[in-house]
Parts: sequence; C-alpha cells; structure tokens
Amino acid sequence: MTDSKEQLFNPGDYFTYVLDQEIRNAGMPGGYCGFALQLAETPDLSGLQKRLNLLVERFPQASANIEPRGKRFAWVATGNPILLELHQCQPDANEADETQRLLLDIFNRQESRPLTVHWIAGADGGTVLLIWLHPLLDARGCKILLDFLSTERPESFKDSPSLIEAKLAQWSFWKKLQLFFKAKRHNTAANSLDSCLPTQVEQGPQHLQLKVQRFDAEQSQRIAKLAQQYTGLTGRTLYYLGCFMRAMELVGPPAAKDGYCIPYAFNLRRQNAPTPVFGNHIGCLFARATRQQVRDRTGLFAHLLSEHKQVVRDELDLAYLPLMWLGQWLSPDKYAKVLRKQHSGGELSSLWFSDIGELSWGKTGFLGVPVTDLSLMCWMTLPPGLALLACQHNGKLVLSYSYLSPAIDEAWLEAVMARMNVELLETAES
Amino acid sequence: MKDVLKSFIFAELIYHEDPATFGDEDNLLDAGLDSMGIMRLIMFAEKEFGVTLPDTEIEPDNVGSLKSLESWIRRSGYTG
Repeated sequence: MTDSKEQLFNPGDYFTYVLDQEIRNAGMPGGYCGFALQLAETPDLSGLQKRLNLLVERFPQASANIEPRGKRFAWVATGNPILLELHQCQPDANEADETQRLLLDIFNRQESRPLTVHWIAGADGGTVLLIWLHPLLDARGCKILLDFLSTERPESFKDSPSLIEAKLAQWSFWKKLQLFFKAKRHNTAANSLDSCLPTQVEQGPQHLQLKVQRFDAEQSQRIAKLAQQYTGLTGRTLYYLGCFMRAMELVGPPAAKDGYCIPYAFNLRRQNAPTPVFGNHIGCLFARATRQQVRDRTGLFAHLLSEHKQVVRDELDLAYLPLMWLGQWLSPDKYAKVLRKQHSGGELSSLWFSDIGELSWGKTGFLGVPVTDLSLMCWMTLPPGLALLACQHNGKLVLSYSYLSPAIDEAWLEAVMARMNVELLETAES
Repeated sequence: MKDVLKSFIFAELIYHEDPATFGDEDNLLDAGLDSMGIMRLIMFAEKEFGVTLPDTEIEPDNVGSLKSLESWIRRSGYTG
C-alpha cells in the first residue's frame, strides 16, 4: 500500500470482514474494536494530529474505503486526513462515569471510516480512544499503531507483505491441501459439540456496553502463578478461558447445551516487531470442553492444555491458514456459515475472546504522558453477544467485557464476573 | 545447534534489531517469547533435532535462554 493506492485483502482481513458484515447485517455498527488509554495529563494534541497526518502519508490504507475486486475485496485509499476528534467530560459529573458514557456513545455510533482517533478531556488528563475496523488490522497491530503515534523514531515502522501469504508461499500445493483437510476435520469436530451461549436472544436492536475487571499487581502475580501451575508455561490464555468456562457454567448458561467452544486467535507477528503495522496476521484455534469437563477444575485445565498441545503438535494452528486462504473465494454469507454455524444450526462461539498480552508504554508513556489505566472493547455477533478481551498493563491484569444490551442480562454478567474473580484467584470457594 | 535455534527464533518468533548481539545466556522470555512462541519453538526443535521434549519439562529453566534450550535438547537424547 505504501507505493500503491490499493491493497487487496489478505486471508485474515477477509476472515474479519465476513464477521464485520455479520455484525452490520444485524443492525450494529460493524466489526470495530477500541483501545482506550487513560492519560495522567493532556498530551501534545497538535503533535498527535501531526503524527496522524504522517500516518496517512506513510500508510494510506489508514484512511481508505473497502471496495469489491471481482470476488475479493480491497482497501482503496481516500487520502482523507484522520482528524483527532475532541470531546469534553462535563465538569460537574463523575469523571470516570462521564468518560465511560462518552466512550460508549462514540463506540455505538454508526461509522464507515476504518480508523478514528478521539481525545476525551477530563479535569487534568483524559482518555485517548483509538477505534479501528478489524479488517484493517489486528489487536497486536493496534499496539504497533499506538507506538507509531507515540515514537520518536517513526521511520522504523514499515509495512510489509501479509505474513499469512508469506507462510502459505513456503508450502507446496500438497502440504497446503494436507493442512486444509486437517483444519476441516478440526472444524467438523468443533461443530459437533453444541455450544452453551450467554443469551437466548438472536436479534433485535442492541447497544454495546462495557464492564472492566481490574486486578492489582499482587492479584495479577497470583493469577500468573496459578496459570503456570495449572496450564504450564505455554498456556496462560488457556487459564483465562478455563476460568471463564467455569464461571459461566457455575452461574448457569442462559442457553444451556452440551459444552463450551471459545475460538481464540494466535498472531503470526514476531513479538516486539514494529512491522507489519496493518493487516490481520492471525490464525484461529478453539478451546472446547463438555459441561462435565468444565465442572472438574483441575481436569478442565489438564484437558485444555492437552488439547492445545496436540493442536500445535498436529500443526493445526497453521492448518487454519489454507482454510482461510480458500475462504477468500466464498461470499461473505457463505463463509459466515462456515465460521459460525454448528451441525445443529446453533452458534459455535460461546464467547468472543482475545488475549492481547502486555500493553505497556514504559517510562516514557504515551506521547510522553504516563498511561494510568486502559480498557478495550469490541463489537461481536449476536449470539454470543459477549466478548472478553484480556491484557496486562504494567504487569496488572485487565479483563474488559463488551456485551450487547438487552441481549445479555447485566445481573447475570455481574455474577459471572464475580465468579471469574473466584476462579482466577482460586479462592476458597473455587 | 544454538545458531539454528537462534535463526528460527528471530525469523519467526521475536523481533530484535540486531540478533547478533543477543547472547546465549540472554533471557528469551524477557525478549518477548510468549506461550504460543514456546510451543512453536518446541515443535521446531523436536522436528529439527529428532528428539521428544517432555511436556512436564517445559519450564523457564529449560526454555529461558539459548544455552538452556540447547542443554535441554541434548539431555533429551540429541547426539549430533
């Protein structure tokens, strides 16, 4: 895109575009995600605007439209600037409540642009909100984008070809075919266990809401230690997923079926790499367990870990890539059925989940200002109408729950979050 | 062996501005090796060196540095 005004979707972009279309078709804004960074002071906002201008200059797809190209889709640059949008908390209101209200107002509005950036001013500092459309980039990419906006060395950030396509190019035709059938069998197995869901509602107008569960440094260390004890060095994500399955099971799933299936992504980007900035470089895995397995805490973690290891040993993590590559030639509605529907016709995902990992800005902060807190949000399909985004901020675990209201019952979610607390910290009741 | 492991790690799993300066005893976990990266590294090592690295031994002492990783692979039966 840096030397062209047009960029065809890569297989990961199309995968997320299909889900974006499902969300839009249900009357919601689309597959948007948001990172909200609370800053201790007001940063140099004119400097931020200049950096946004540089972003569009260096990476034109940051300001682009999606247009069809035959059976595929492409980003076509518009060249329009990304203007920092300014919002102000009402001075007489509780600032935290007012910031959350503004965040959600912005996030719930209808939008067509792939990337918008906002400053919500408080009494002293405020909140930077970056909202992006998932086909534009994945969550790891968003961290890189935030780093680009904040760095003193923007020239070190470069675009590069799709990592999925680079990986596919390494394999022979036969290897791709072999992996494709592996993934298909994996999907078939995933689709055979009817998933418990957090709601029975499948349609109707919805509003996105957000609840954030924050853990202090001591609690976060305890959770990390327990995660290592139960799921080993390779499975912190699995610990969060297992705890959520148990919380949902013990509170009672509103749509009770056979078990739980939670897809989770893995990222092909190298850790700490400033490139690629844009594009989705992700594969997909599934954490699955029957309700009976979920009720046995120790057994559940052993099951999830064993399943995960087998998946990696069988190269199923990579097997999804050829499937995503072929999916590019399916229409969005046909592809959506493959991604979402079980053999019974029910929804596959009990929850949308992503573990984004460490999100810290070190001593220099964001634009030179300390980041005091953060929250994450995303739209999702209905069902499940609930997404859990996990990250660590300065070593402290933050769990952000985005949910659709009225589809998800708020009291039920609060009970699940309370139970999640117990499960994560393994307090006496767990 | 360490060179082969190092090439894979910095080509596929972790970004480093100058991998040549990354020492054999430098901490891979601090450098950004995450849980999925560890699994991919283990799968790579098993295939490349023809050994089985036991699940029960996946711990920081064995995957924390290139040196400890090499030592673990040798203890697991690699004789090359």
